[in-house]
Amino acid sequence: MSLSPLCPCGSGLRRLNCCEASPGALRPTEAIRHLTPLIERATQALRTGAAGVAERLAIDILELAPGQTGALAVLYEVRKASGPASAVEALIRRLVSLDPNNYWAINEITLLMLGKGSLAEAETHARNAVRVAPEAPQSHNLMGMVLTEARRPQVGEYHYRQVVALSGARDPILLANLAWNLKTQGRMEEARALYQEAARSGPPVMQTLLGWARMEEADRHFDAANEALDRADAIAPENPSILLARAVLLGRMRRHEDALAVLDRVAALSHDGSLGPNELLEKGRLLDQMGRFDDAWAAFADGKRKAREMTGYAYMAEHAQQLAGRMKGFFTAGRLRTLPRGTRRADIAQPLFILGFPRSGTTLVEQSLSAHPRINAGDELPMITEIADLMPRLFESPLTYPEALAELWMGDRREGLDTLRDHYFDKARQLGVLRPGAAWFTDKMPLNETHLGLIGLIFPASPMVHVLRHPLDVVLSVFSNHLTHGFFCAYSLESIAQHMVLVHDLVAHYRAQMALRYLPVRYEDIVERQEESVRGMLDFAGEPFDPACLQFHENRRYARTASYAQVTEKLYASSRFRYRDYLRHLEPVLPVLAPLIERLGYSV
Amino acid sequence: MSNSAASETLIGLPMGQVWRIADEYQQAGRLDEAEELLRRVLDAAPRQPDALHLAGLVDFRKGRFAAAAAKVELAIQHGVDTPLYWRNLCTMYERLGRYDDAVNAGERAVALDPADAGAYHNLTVVHYRRLDIDGSIACARQAIALDPTLPGSHFALAEALLLRGELAEGWEEYEWRFRIPGTPPPLPNATAPQWDGAAMPDGALLLVADQGYGDALQFCRYVPWAVARCGQVTLACSPELESLLRPAFPRATIVSRWESAPPYQAWCPLSGLPRLHGTRLDSIPAAPAYLRADPAAATMWRTRLDALVPRGFRRVGVAWAGRPTHNNDSNRSASLATLAPLATVPGIALISLQKGPGQDQIGAYYGRAPLLNLGPELNTFAETAALLEALDLVIVVDTAVGHLAAALGRPVWLLLPYAPDWRWLLGRTDSPWYPSMRLFRQHAPQEWTGVVADAAAALRQMPAVAQR
Repeated sequence: MSLSPLCPCGSGLRRLNCCEASPGALRPTEAIRHLTPLIERATQALRTGAAGVAERLAIDILELAPGQTGALAVLYEVRKASGPASAVEALIRRLVSLDPNNYWAINEITLLMLGKGSLAEAETHARNAVRVAPEAPQSHNLMGMVLTEARRPQVGEYHYRQVVALSGARDPILLANLAWNLKTQGRMEEARALYQEAARSGPPVMQTLLGWARMEEADRHFDAANEALDRADAIAPENPSILLARAVLLGRMRRHEDALAVLDRVAALSHDGSLGPNELLEKGRLLDQMGRFDDAWAAFADGKRKAREMTGYAYMAEHAQQLAGRMKGFFTAGRLRTLPRGTRRADIAQPLFILGFPRSGTTLVEQSLSAHPRINAGDELPMITEIADLMPRLFESPLTYPEALAELWMGDRREGLDTLRDHYFDKARQLGVLRPGAAWFTDKMPLNETHLGLIGLIFPASPMVHVLRHPLDVVLSVFSNHLTHGFFCAYSLESIAQHMVLVHDLVAHYRAQMALRYLPVRYEDIVERQEESVRGMLDFAGEPFDPACLQFHENRRYARTASYAQVTEKLYASSRFRYRDYLRHLEPVLPVLAPLIERLGYSV
Repeated sequence: MSNSAASETLIGLPMGQVWRIADEYQQAGRLDEAEELLRRVLDAAPRQPDALHLAGLVDFRKGRFAAAAAKVELAIQHGVDTPLYWRNLCTMYERLGRYDDAVNAGERAVALDPADAGAYHNLTVVHYRRLDIDGSIACARQAIALDPTLPGSHFALAEALLLRGELAEGWEEYEWRFRIPGTPPPLPNATAPQWDGAAMPDGALLLVADQGYGDALQFCRYVPWAVARCGQVTLACSPELESLLRPAFPRATIVSRWESAPPYQAWCPLSGLPRLHGTRLDSIPAAPAYLRADPAAATMWRTRLDALVPRGFRRVGVAWAGRPTHNNDSNRSASLATLAPLATVPGIALISLQKGPGQDQIGAYYGRAPLLNLGPELNTFAETAALLEALDLVIVVDTAVGHLAAALGRPVWLLLPYAPDWRWLLGRTDSPWYPSMRLFRQHAPQEWTGVVADAAAALRQMPAVAQR
């Protein structure tokens, strides 16, 4: 008799009792009661540090009873300590699926997903934690962490404050987390006070000091950032995260050689003598500022390669094309004529959409416009994508988006777009972007232009400012930064270009099919003729000119995107046509981009 | 020819017979089949003049004018000095905008065959394009002298005379338009004679909105005149015009289906009414506005534009292309890109009224002035009229929406080709047909830059609108 091979996830279990286990493989609780002593022994072994014994016992039990949750928990703990990561994930997923109310398991899987950057899934589990244990401070802590990372810090702040209220204590780690949350909201003074309190109320913690340093760096207090890094370094000398933060800080202080030396130190300390993806991209950006363009390109290319290898992410070209095809198929002039439009709510500030491919200058435009007293910065608001996902449920449609918009033809769904509009406003209110006195709030979620048709239906009177920039500059900038937008297109040079063409084609389609309150604005014009460009945008929104909009670099608001450092500096002409220094390296994407470059009115 | 034997071997038929079959295909519009046969002939005999000429005709009919001319040039180079080749080459050059070459080719054709009325006709057209109206009229008269039954030449003569403002003779020649081969009759299965303009106090007249939408919009001004002379007037028009014309002419019956038309004692195309009316330049019925938009619909558009167009911006309607099947579309239609200078004028918003394939160009517009694409929402001329009432100005090429705006009395600037349609006359910047219209003319054939720059300069001079 041949046995099933071991599961490729690395759990140590046989495949048929692990990732390929069928529901029939589960045994009734009654039938496996005799295993209880073994489970207790495994748990005891784990507690006493006898990991090998714990592992052996857990595997034995699970081969007999694949659904035994106690043994799964033991094996999960063993693998969590020693890997592999695939087994850790497989085991905790199975545990949560078999025992959905297991609070400990929910906590574990939330943290795992958060660490992995799978924020949507992390949020699902964090919400479950609150449902299972609404009065447990940790449930709210999970929500706080996840929503801060998911760029909904206002909701995250609520949950952090719930932790304080429920625990009745001001735990230094919690205070540091809350401080980071406030930093992402641009509330630097409050964040600083919390970091100071955290530092006073407990022994120094490296993560707290690192977060504090990054906050000070973002707030342009470079000396304070340096001091916090020194203190963190004293706790964890030569920690790679601290060193990277130090390199970033030195870069912002224009001490490029020193920054490079720090990164070299990071490489020397690593197990293989090389840098990770983020460090490589940082190194590339430093080299770029030093005018060492070929070296910079090599670092960018290396960083992207490593990111692909480590994450396994690659551009989802087929998905992107399918989506674009479905949008073009649905949003046609003939169909749009028959669909209603959302109505305008007079009681609330209106969204002003800033559209553009990542790294095309949307942050700059938002910083300029939000310096106006009647325009509040909303940042990257997730609601349009959420609405697209939610629409079938809200409309009780058997179809998905965009086809679910067909429900608007039904008598009881004629006001469906207003339902979507109100969902958007509810979320906007929760996110705190509805500032009293402001007539507008910006929404600059990158690639919202993919859903231009939907936006045009829900908010037909909302201004859409589309920021254009030379496609080669955009490609170069995306290539030198870490981004996950756009179906993971940023993971290779070719896919960045490919996705950019796809999105611009889609925008052109929408514009030819429907009336949109749309204004193209060139990044290069903002640099060259700032006042004229800003006046044009404000005219377009129907707002009077305000000179504060020209001093965007003095806007103390913190931009939460990769551009946060650039937008604190005055406009500089060298940010235009940077591609010229990299033309040789960009040659592979020239044929793909040439028609778009011409159509947008640029040249090479 | 030395290589004809090879072609016979290859095709299995005498080459002359293959050529004839290809010609039959070409004449029957089976262009792909003709092209395939000719390709095989030319593979075997690349210098065979008749095959080259015929292949050129196929290219021409497929819209490949440059390739067509190149083939016919080669046919001439390798054949005898055939007048037919020169005659056709004249038209090919004309389509390419190579008017001097076209004149030379046409003159060569008539020199070789002074009795070829068709060659004179082609020269008539070329001279018109060059705005040599005297030359055009002379050639047309020569063609008609050679063949008095040539409808195309009568029509071309009409156009040249009307353009020069010689309306009386022009209207008469204009009547030949329905005799041009391939032109469908304006009234299928007519059961009564064409109206002669005499009063019919007890008679029923059926008017037919013939030609394009622009013609219908221009000549519907004569409906009240016809109503005054006839007991009952019915106007048959396309459905797109119906809701606009019905309230404008309450004493006429407006129909859009033949079966809805009541019995009639006489009929007349709308474009025939100026002749019957005896219209001269100084007697054009040109009320400031003879059509009107639905006030409620116009208010709806104003409200909508208030929400979509920046406050204080002038709302300038634009359309840059007419119906692509119009026989002079390549001259009268521009592109949105050519209108770019208008978009540099501060304080304006462009409102696109463009319909049809030209609409796709909006996706590639990145000008400074915001552009609002409302073309897709306009299904009827009544809807368009309501929108036009909400605009400050309309700048369009020679297409129906220009007529509509002018018929409503709205300010409209028309961007005209170098040799415009006859109704815009010569040289003048105004139109006796439309008091609210201003004409901007190309300085040279197919050259839009100058005329658009003129319009942009004029736009800059316009006073700002009052804050809405």
